[in-house]
Amino acid sequence: MKTILTALAASTALTGAAFADSHSDTITVGITQNNVGVDSYQTTYEQAFIEAAEGMENVEAVILDAGGDVARQIAQMQDLIQQQVDVIVIWPTNGQAVVPAVRAANQAGIPVVVTNSNIAEEGFDFIASFSGPNNIQQGAYSAELMCEALAEDGQDPSEATGQIVQISGQPGYTTAIERQGGFEDRLAEACPGVEIMETQPGDWNREKSQRVMENFLVKYDRIDGVYSGDDNMGVGALNAAKAADRVGDIAFIGATNFAVGYEAMAAGEYYGSIYQSPVDDARNALDTAVAVAKGEEVPFLNYFETPKITQENMDEFTKPVF
Amino acid sequence: MSRVETETAASGKPKEADESAPGPDTNRTLVQILSSQGILIAFGLFMLGFGLFSERFLSLENMESVLRSSAIIGVMALGVTVVVISGNLDLSVGSMLSFGTVMVVDLHDKIGAAPGIAVMMAAVLALGCVNGFLVGILRLNSLIVTLGMLSAIQGLTLIYSGGKNVDIDPSSQDTTWFKVFGRGDIAGLDMPIILFGLLAVILHCIVAYTAFGRRVYAVGGNPTAAVFSGIRRGRVVFSTYVISSFCVGVAAIILGSRVMGSQNNVGQGYELLVLAGVILGGTSLLGGSGSIFETVIGVLILGFIQNGLLLLSYPYYTQWIVTWFVIILAVWLDIAGKRGRLFSPIA
Repeated sequence: MKTILTALAASTALTGAAFADSHSDTITVGITQNNVGVDSYQTTYEQAFIEAAEGMENVEAVILDAGGDVARQIAQMQDLIQQQVDVIVIWPTNGQAVVPAVRAANQAGIPVVVTNSNIAEEGFDFIASFSGPNNIQQGAYSAELMCEALAEDGQDPSEATGQIVQISGQPGYTTAIERQGGFEDRLAEACPGVEIMETQPGDWNREKSQRVMENFLVKYDRIDGVYSGDDNMGVGALNAAKAADRVGDIAFIGATNFAVGYEAMAAGEYYGSIYQSPVDDARNALDTAVAVAKGEEVPFLNYFETPKITQENMDEFTKPVF
Repeated sequence: MSRVETETAASGKPKEADESAPGPDTNRTLVQILSSQGILIAFGLFMLGFGLFSERFLSLENMESVLRSSAIIGVMALGVTVVVISGNLDLSVGSMLSFGTVMVVDLHDKIGAAPGIAVMMAAVLALGCVNGFLVGILRLNSLIVTLGMLSAIQGLTLIYSGGKNVDIDPSSQDTTWFKVFGRGDIAGLDMPIILFGLLAVILHCIVAYTAFGRRVYAVGGNPTAAVFSGIRRGRVVFSTYVISSFCVGVAAIILGSRVMGSQNNVGQGYELLVLAGVILGGTSLLGGSGSIFETVIGVLILGFIQNGLLLLSYPYYTQWIVTWFVIILAVWLDIAGKRGRLFSPIA
């Protein structure tokens, strides 16, 4: 059994090497994704990544998906190391658990680019770059939107006052923690008169957020604004407020603009959000990876722009596909 | 409304006749009261406790809010109760809910609300038949079968939707009659609550008062004896899974109508909440005992715990811990009631 395994490993390594040699002028980018198909963002991301790779000369992409499974992702990392790809892009299933696999790639001399959500800090030494949205900045942008929304006519946003609630993403998820932190820190600076009465997780789930918001509506007679960690949850909160006939009193601010959020904005019920395109996300990751493989200098945190979107400027953006 | 138990289940363990400890009778009576009415007593104490600390808790508005948000879990728990009474498990209800909701929302704009509901119900019932066939007819272990179905149906959902979120066209959300299931009301009482109550009454009658219901208890209490009594075990078990999937279908309609959209994983983890409600109500995982009425109470306790802790501004992780604690307490009281004492050297 052992010999068979060794032989298999050896043959894989050989074919891998042969593959790499015969295409010495092409760059092979291997990507292991988190969980394609579980949501539209990741589905669109994958399509955009493949299209972008096809559009580039001398770039070949090996597309893998871990299906949300940490063990499978680690195995895929090992496969990509065996194949001796030129650069590995990883969308971590778990920021902590994949660090050893990233370290192994680094030791094998293959640069690693982390995409979308970063790995744990102890892995930073082993990666070439992080490509993705700046979630702290997104939280800060949302805080600024909240100040603008709560400012009365002619009032400076910094003087806005009000009582708001926050519906955060899945507890423990880096994106959720960073957005919440960015929002809370910036809100305290940008309009200290606005108070966050309570924060509860909506787990990125619209129905769960709807339930959380229903509880908030019972508990608080006055809610001036709701900040949700993404638009999917934001629309859940909006649904709850609609049922309670309290939409007019509340400013809804989200993040990661979803199609439903975009439409609610068009209907005038939703104040604003943060526009994050999976296509930009994928292209930025591929560009970063190719640059790293060519030995070019790239910033360690290579963010792509995620602008504010509100009822006023929404015409400048196409409706999100997810 | 005490627990219904078959003769076969009750006679499973010999009673210890000689109890030499002082005051065994008082102890036993207390245990008996706890085990037969424990869930109602706990429920009452619970409501009283939270009511003292939060003035909003006992308000009509809050009651309605809790009932409404418990309705989806509740409807699913009704069906699962029937499966559990027959001595089996159904862990596939969470992903079946995702599947049903995605389908009914997606079909709404494509073929219309009524045909969409019909097609979705047929598809979900077919999944129930698969469960029923594997567990009832082929007699495979229900834990393995439904755990497998949990991921298989999640896979089906992703294939169906291609991973995209589905939404009902926003322009028709306020006009479609489909909104009645999740957002409508009759005389001020929300439709999800009415559907939950109606289904609970119907299933309670089926389980408690029909021959089929008695067969379900018999099969769960002692399958061998049931078969020798001429009960077709496979057929009964098959039916319980069909009932369970029907309930999931109804839950999917409520959820789709309430949210007017669906994510592919919207029901993820719901199977455990559902099972928690069933266990909390006092339906034994060993089968042969339990009732629909108790499950309703169990689900409501679960809903009120989460709501109460939220109104008192406890962080969410407190909810997880307290929920777990209450479930363990309920299981302990249940098993203590069966043993006839709170602590026992033998299982």
